[in-house]
Amino acid sequence: MAPAGGALLAVKRAAKFYGSKLVFKEVTCEVRPGEIVLVAGPNGAGKSTLMRIMAGLSRPSAGEVTLHVEPECTAYLGHSTFIYPGMTALANLGFWGTMYGLSPSREELTALLARVGLERAAEEKAGSFSRGMAQRLNLARIYLVNPRLIFLDEPGTGLDPRSLALLRREIVAFRDQGTSVVWISHHVREDAALADTVLALGGRRVEYFGPAAEYEVEVETC
Amino acid sequence: MLKRAAAMASKDLKLSVSGGQGLVQAVLLGLLLIFLFSLSKPLGGAISAQAAGAIFWLASAFGLVLVFNDLFAIEEANGARMGILSSPAPVHAVWIGKGVAGLCLLLVSQLVFLPATVAFLDQTVHGPWWLMLVTLAGADIGLVVIGALLGALSQGQAARESLLSVIVFPLLLPVLLSGITLFSMCFSPGTSEGFDGWLGLIFAFDALFSGAGLFLFPFVYSGEE
Repeated sequence: MAPAGGALLAVKRAAKFYGSKLVFKEVTCEVRPGEIVLVAGPNGAGKSTLMRIMAGLSRPSAGEVTLHVEPECTAYLGHSTFIYPGMTALANLGFWGTMYGLSPSREELTALLARVGLERAAEEKAGSFSRGMAQRLNLARIYLVNPRLIFLDEPGTGLDPRSLALLRREIVAFRDQGTSVVWISHHVREDAALADTVLALGGRRVEYFGPAAEYEVEVETC
Repeated sequence: MLKRAAAMASKDLKLSVSGGQGLVQAVLLGLLLIFLFSLSKPLGGAISAQAAGAIFWLASAFGLVLVFNDLFAIEEANGARMGILSSPAPVHAVWIGKGVAGLCLLLVSQLVFLPATVAFLDQTVHGPWWLMLVTLAGADIGLVVIGALLGALSQGQAARESLLSVIVFPLLLPVLLSGITLFSMCFSPGTSEGFDGWLGLIFAFDALFSGAGLFLFPFVYSGEE
């Protein structure tokens, strides 16, 4: 557990190589309770790689990552939707519940689907869902877990404006209830306004790590 | 962990059976092999019990590769592997779940292969049924332990999928050889002397590779890309 007010996640001098190719080095940052950390940077800067390292899905080549939260209190939502197309929305959610060691009732699962506007599609196979519906089902999985730390890897990719607005609203709602969010986004100008902190990668290193408001100022003065 | 493994196996069985891909392909390929080998039977002659056993286990081994490629492809369609790895579920639950699902699908395939072997290759089961069933169970456990371990290597990438069959077959030789010998005893009217040594080899193989699988699976089923 993190000490009161301490970081939920701390990355210290992390580096990652793929073979002999350096992705980034000397990455140091932390995520505090109840804050949104927006991860920005051009394509190939290593944002997704860094997030996988933070989430424990990949090992850093150097440095260390310390997570002060139990694995069952974290959730990962990427641009892939994690759905099983051959299963219904309810069955998908039930499966993820079991994987997280939960035993949600059918009523609880249906209520979660209603929260993301999928109650009428509960018995439909997820393979027939649009990209927006699939990502909303994925969002219901996050609600089910009720995490303290969420990793979002470009979850807005391919979403229609309505689904994107819902996603942004929910990210802020998560922060307001004390959940920390690490969020990779390509819509940096819009999303930085919702974030507390920005971590910008570029040139194989950290270009900026600090308050989101000041990051905006830096971008404008450059 | 067992509850999560059971959920994984149940989900895989439903998707594999309803999708009609891996199991159907495995059964069709196995039947085709048995039928093609039956054409090599000389006119008025018969295929030896040893050859019939070899054909049965060859069909099973090819079916195994198709079944596990299909089972591990389920997670690759929408990136669910990352979801599983980021959940608190132990990664061994995936190995056990996939193994149990693969064992069920392999047994269903063999329920088709066995009568086909008897019918197309003119064999009769003379030996004790218990020996045939114990051989089937023991050898199948060995096959799926390896299949579930190396199936994780495939993870949707074509180059790795081809690697699967290249690696699987040499590793399976001890268990296939034992299965062939024991099945030939069951297909022959003679005695089944020496069966205990072959059964011992099968169960030693199962124990060795179960241990290896427990140790190695977390390394081959990971979030590294």
